[in-house]
Amino acid sequence: MATPAAWAAACEKFRASLSLSQVESQKDPENDPYKSKYRARELLQEVKALLGPAADEDEDEEAVGGNGDGPGAEEGPAAERAGPGVGAEPSARAVRLAAVELQLGLNHIDTEELAAGEEHLQNCLRLVRRSRLEPAAVSLHLQAQNNLGILWSERDEIETAQTYLESAEALYNQYMKEIGNPPLDPNEHFLPEEEKLTEQERSRRFEKAYTHTLYYLAQVYQHLEMIEKAAQYCHTTLKRQLEYSGYHPVEWAINAATLSQYYINKQCFMESRHCLSAASVIFSQAEQTPSTEDTEAEQEQQDLCQRRAEIARCWIKYCLSLLQSAQASLEDNIGELDLDKQSELKARRKREEDEKEKMRKKVVLFGTSDVCDAILAMEEKVACVPPLDFREAREVFLVGQNYVCEAKEYFQVDGYITDHIEIVQDHSSLFKVLAFFEEDYERRCKMHKRRIDMLEPLTVDLNPQYYLLINRQLQFELAHTYYEMMDLKVAIANRLEELDSHTIKKINSLAQSAIKYYELFLDSLKDPNKVFPEQLGEDVLRPALVAKFHIARLYGKLITCDGRKELDNMQASLEYYTFLVDYCEKYPEAVRAVETELELSKEMAGLLPAKMERLRAKLSPFT
Amino acid sequence: MAPGVKDSLRAITPSQSNQVSNEGDVIKVFIRVRPPTEGPVLNNGEHPGMCLSVLTSNTLRLHSKPEPKIFTFDHVADMDTTQESVFSSVAKGIVESCMNGYNGTIFAYGQTGSGKTFTMMGPSESDNFTHNLRGVIPRSFEYLFFLIDREKEKAGAGKTFLCKCSFIEIYNEQIFDLLDSASTGLLLREHIKKGVCVVGAVEQVVTSAAEAYQVLSGGWRNRRVAATSMNRESSRSHAVFTITVESMEKNNDVVNIRSSQLNLVDLAGSERQKDTHTEGLRLKEAGNINRSLSCLGQVITALVDVGNGKQRHVCYRDSKLTFLLRDSLGGNAKTAIIANVHPGSKCFGETLSTLNFAQRAKLIKNKAVVNEDMQGNV
Repeated sequence: MATPAAWAAACEKFRASLSLSQVESQKDPENDPYKSKYRARELLQEVKALLGPAADEDEDEEAVGGNGDGPGAEEGPAAERAGPGVGAEPSARAVRLAAVELQLGLNHIDTEELAAGEEHLQNCLRLVRRSRLEPAAVSLHLQAQNNLGILWSERDEIETAQTYLESAEALYNQYMKEIGNPPLDPNEHFLPEEEKLTEQERSRRFEKAYTHTLYYLAQVYQHLEMIEKAAQYCHTTLKRQLEYSGYHPVEWAINAATLSQYYINKQCFMESRHCLSAASVIFSQAEQTPSTEDTEAEQEQQDLCQRRAEIARCWIKYCLSLLQSAQASLEDNIGELDLDKQSELKARRKREEDEKEKMRKKVVLFGTSDVCDAILAMEEKVACVPPLDFREAREVFLVGQNYVCEAKEYFQVDGYITDHIEIVQDHSSLFKVLAFFEEDYERRCKMHKRRIDMLEPLTVDLNPQYYLLINRQLQFELAHTYYEMMDLKVAIANRLEELDSHTIKKINSLAQSAIKYYELFLDSLKDPNKVFPEQLGEDVLRPALVAKFHIARLYGKLITCDGRKELDNMQASLEYYTFLVDYCEKYPEAVRAVETELELSKEMAGLLPAKMERLRAKLSPFT
Repeated sequence: MAPGVKDSLRAITPSQSNQVSNEGDVIKVFIRVRPPTEGPVLNNGEHPGMCLSVLTSNTLRLHSKPEPKIFTFDHVADMDTTQESVFSSVAKGIVESCMNGYNGTIFAYGQTGSGKTFTMMGPSESDNFTHNLRGVIPRSFEYLFFLIDREKEKAGAGKTFLCKCSFIEIYNEQIFDLLDSASTGLLLREHIKKGVCVVGAVEQVVTSAAEAYQVLSGGWRNRRVAATSMNRESSRSHAVFTITVESMEKNNDVVNIRSSQLNLVDLAGSERQKDTHTEGLRLKEAGNINRSLSCLGQVITALVDVGNGKQRHVCYRDSKLTFLLRDSLGGNAKTAIIANVHPGSKCFGETLSTLNFAQRAKLIKNKAVVNEDMQGNV
């Protein structure tokens, strides 16, 4: 650097290039999106020229660890001390050049010129390699590595990206362990003395850069299909966002709620609940800060309502999964509540209560003290261990049901058909799983009736041309619910001395309704010429065959005193059983999907003809 | 017990995709190789610097190092393929099923300069729609109206048709009406009878292919394009041209109304887009890292997506494009993708990513998961 004047010019140009890159470029015309970036690049090149040629500092020795109190910034142009290769102290020119190279690298990446960008970033690394643990250089090194990680990911070389990012992570950890004081920001090297950043601001920026490292790593692990690791890094990213503020509360809440859904899949209910509670707490804080702009207020209000409903939907899934997971562990082999298992699990849970505190510590907790307290209070409202009896199940159910109401407030039928139906389906599933815990058949039947009442109206107006898939689901679920209700009524009737006509009517009408919906579902599989497909697609194979099988059973269940009618029902039943047997013979790969049903169908197809023969003989005794 | 149907495009890993049986719900994928710009021809008659060769009508070889890669598609059209034959292999069937009340969608995909516009529209300099080089869209219009006229002749006065066009653009996850340049930020809503609709989009009634073409070329000029030092011109938005065909048939006193939609979609250039949110069809290769922390949600969503078949809710809606075309991406619609590639060696990277995308698209199939849990109440 020749003169103070040249130095001042360099600072000026550097700052101008930053503002072009970061501020002006937002306003670039759409048909020339990089106008400001190209201009910023020219300025950076000029700064580089003003700084003069770099001393050759690219020796590959390992840096000597810093001594913990390295001086901060250099004092202007005259302060160049250490020449190349003396200790780890970077020269002022080296860090300044590195800062310019970093900016040039970013600039070229932004304008889709990767090769040049890589070169500049490598220059930056080279200039500060040996001094990377110094407060003056650590941020430069970290950010250059971050950006090389991004660059290699652009080239689909994820492993290379991973190497750079993991080494950035290691650098941060080593620096924090050995040095720890807030390092200089990469752009600080061109600020006049009076504009130097505060320690607090330095720390904030450095932590932010590291948060980005973790976030990029989360993405790298995701691409490498190291899902658990990726989730862990997402979780840490969220946690750091809260710690160092600088996040958008609504966005944060939505992210935390989404992450809870990952934990649900892994059956980690404690972590899931923690994420959701944090989401609710942070979101409610966002709601309390009213918008300043009146014009935007309404749009924002709409937005908030949608977000609240989204979080409610995540809660619904939480409650539902918790209940279903409990059901899975309590089922006996015919899907009923197994009382022995129940008492065994209750005993085990008692033993685990004492260890609960330990479990708690395993969860990475969000937030600082007061946020954390609010989150814990939120958590108190719903369990995170699977419920083991009706009373406990009901509590979870009620929480879920409240969230159903909240979600439906925003996702109304008009305008949000699919979402609305999905919520109602969840509501129906909540009833279904609650019914599992209910020992009284009559009451259980009523719960299923509630499901029918909420699902049936939805199918009336729904246009299957646009909502084919969801329509199929509704038909299938309705059919299945009627089927279950019929089974319950039959079980109740079996305890009676004799069947009264009211019960018979009830059973028959439930069976007929179930048949109707199964048939509607099967009709939806037909092509435009109303022909049932020769071979079923894999996605509908099992449901379609199960529907056929259930219809066969339903015809068998219909109660009638009219022998002719009974014969017709048997005939129908036989046809459906035969369909299943024939289909599986023709397409052996279908067997796997319906093993149990096939076995029974074969048996029935064997028995029914003889039974029908006997009935025929009884009906016409004179032939 | 499975959750609701996943309505967005989901590329299924090859291991899961066994023989597809039901052609209605598969996306057909066509590759079209454009001729290279005039260059020197080598002594052996070959063009220098070609990175791929077409082997058969459905395979091509990419000269990648160290191993060349073979790709298989529903159809591969080489450099000499005419506009007419592209139309008949890709679009004809879709237009026909549109007349039978099915919805249909044709996507054009490929990097800038790979011949997308030529394939879909025809030579850009002429608005002349009778040109022999006219593309898939004008030919689709002609064919549609030809079929309509034929139907009318057959049915006499008993059958009437109504065709309406709309033309919208999706840019940065916002919807703009190309037929009304004053409009801003239109909303997507679901109607119980009419499916997904863009609230407030202009619908223009057309009675002939020429009129439809006028609507199209008028809107086309309003699209957003960008020039960079790397690209001449690149479309940065997705454009969706929709033509709704309604037919009404009177038999005695019974009125039978049918309605279907034909969507013609020009996807944004497949090269890196300015904004990560515009990634309508997960177009980009998996390798990209989002730089902005505000995309954390996308990362988390992807994690949630991996565990499939369980109860869960992902807060992030599909992109506007997948939401709008929900119906085309599975279920009861016929869909085709035309992936355009440039054979030149310097386009190798882009060509590879286009082919990879097309390869994945072949596996797209909407899973209509039916809620069913068989308890042993047999």
